[in-house]
Amino acid sequence: MTTMTSVRERAAAAAWRHVHTGDRAVAVAQREALGTTARLAVWPPEHADAAMAAVDAVLAALDLQASRFRPDSEISWLHRSAGGLFMLSGGLAEAVRVALEAARWTGGLTDPTVGEALISLGYDRDFAAIDPDSREPPPAPVPAPGWQEVRLDGPLLWLPASVRLDLGATAKGLGSDRAARAVMAATGHTGGALISLGGDIATAGIPPRGGWPIVAAGRSGHDGADSPRTGPASTGLSQLVRLPHGAVATSSISCRSWRRAGRVLHHIVDPRTGLPAGGPWQTASVAAMTCADANAAATAAIVAGEAAPGWLTAAGLPARLVSHTGEVRHIGGWPEHDGGQIEVPPGSHVYAGTGPRAGAR
Amino acid sequence: MDSDREQHAGQIPLPGGEAEVGYQPAATRRDSVRHARRMSNWTLAALIAGTGAATVALAHHAFSSVATTVGAPTTAATGGQAAVNGTSGPQVSHSVATTSGSGATVTTTTKTVNGKTVIVRTVHPAAYHDD
Repeated sequence: MTTMTSVRERAAAAAWRHVHTGDRAVAVAQREALGTTARLAVWPPEHADAAMAAVDAVLAALDLQASRFRPDSEISWLHRSAGGLFMLSGGLAEAVRVALEAARWTGGLTDPTVGEALISLGYDRDFAAIDPDSREPPPAPVPAPGWQEVRLDGPLLWLPASVRLDLGATAKGLGSDRAARAVMAATGHTGGALISLGGDIATAGIPPRGGWPIVAAGRSGHDGADSPRTGPASTGLSQLVRLPHGAVATSSISCRSWRRAGRVLHHIVDPRTGLPAGGPWQTASVAAMTCADANAAATAAIVAGEAAPGWLTAAGLPARLVSHTGEVRHIGGWPEHDGGQIEVPPGSHVYAGTGPRAGAR
Repeated sequence: MDSDREQHAGQIPLPGGEAEVGYQPAATRRDSVRHARRMSNWTLAALIAGTGAATVALAHHAFSSVATTVGAPTTAATGGQAAVNGTSGPQVSHSVATTSGSGATVTTTTKTVNGKTVIVRTVHPAAYHDD
């Protein structure tokens, strides 16, 4: 009963608000979800109500499966059990599988076993509840035990007692992918939809002519480029691009940061050191066929630092890197000019979108 | 909730009692996992069937409650239904979303007031708003 009441309260508190962008051919709405903002764009606009209900269902399920900030989530229950062999729900098994595939693909630049490292840095609760300027010094860094310590075979998960999972490098992207598919299923696979979870964007169906117009932010919160009143023109380090299909995700160290003992920390942890990732890039935007791929690649790019351009080029993914000094680098065919189309290569490294992948562990 | 969780997903004790459960050397762990995989097919099938049924039940309740309580605003019809049958989408000229890092943005400014350093921290839940 407690859980059902909680779900109702959360849902009631998270009502959608329509966003007026200036185009009547597409309905746009947003709501708070998963500690960030979910945005939905759908055409024809008559599909909006069904689309919002579909997104709500996906986000509620993902939150119950994978949020380590909810004591009643399935992943929190795993952590309380102090290791062992577990039978997971299908949804959490898929989320863990995607995280492990991402770790394998990125060579460990993303790693779902960074949970303990994040907790030691102070990211042990929903971001809004973190003491922004704690005087308590952070303890010694805790490198990730390594994704190879975790075994997944279908729904069976082996989790060592010392390992806490954090699916932050892939979960939002996976949520956008799931939501985009759910919207299309709910609307009879007609029209088109775009879903953004905290800036990680997935698309499905038929796009607007030329592609979905989106803004790639340069510095989060500094340029306000997405204000509906600014129109399509880019400002500052942001750029307007068009996404005909696929997904785009951005990782940035300029948001979700906090202080401990005067030291600025952020949420992108280098699994190898257990410390916030350094390197020259403040923001990395990456396009891929699925948002889970894009999410993982963007996080990996921040962690890779100087090696990011080489890794992204080898991966064949369009990307846009913004350095701390404002230098912008376009990689893998990311358009250099405003309004350019992003051509996303086919295929997924981490998320097939259907059922278990052979060989995943 | 705990009882719900135990019905649809569960910790599976490894063979050999509690002494073998927990953090173990890799070789021992692999052996333990192999033991677990050798559980009878009937046991595993029963587990999976139970998991599926309970998950569906839980999901049904959760999704039903969400769908019936969300105050989704009514959408104004704009005649887009006619265009949906074609193979090309509508003309959309304004940006519909921003790809940016994780939604929440923190701005920290430091200033000196009466000789003391004051840190002002502002949390913006998202980089965009419609109001």
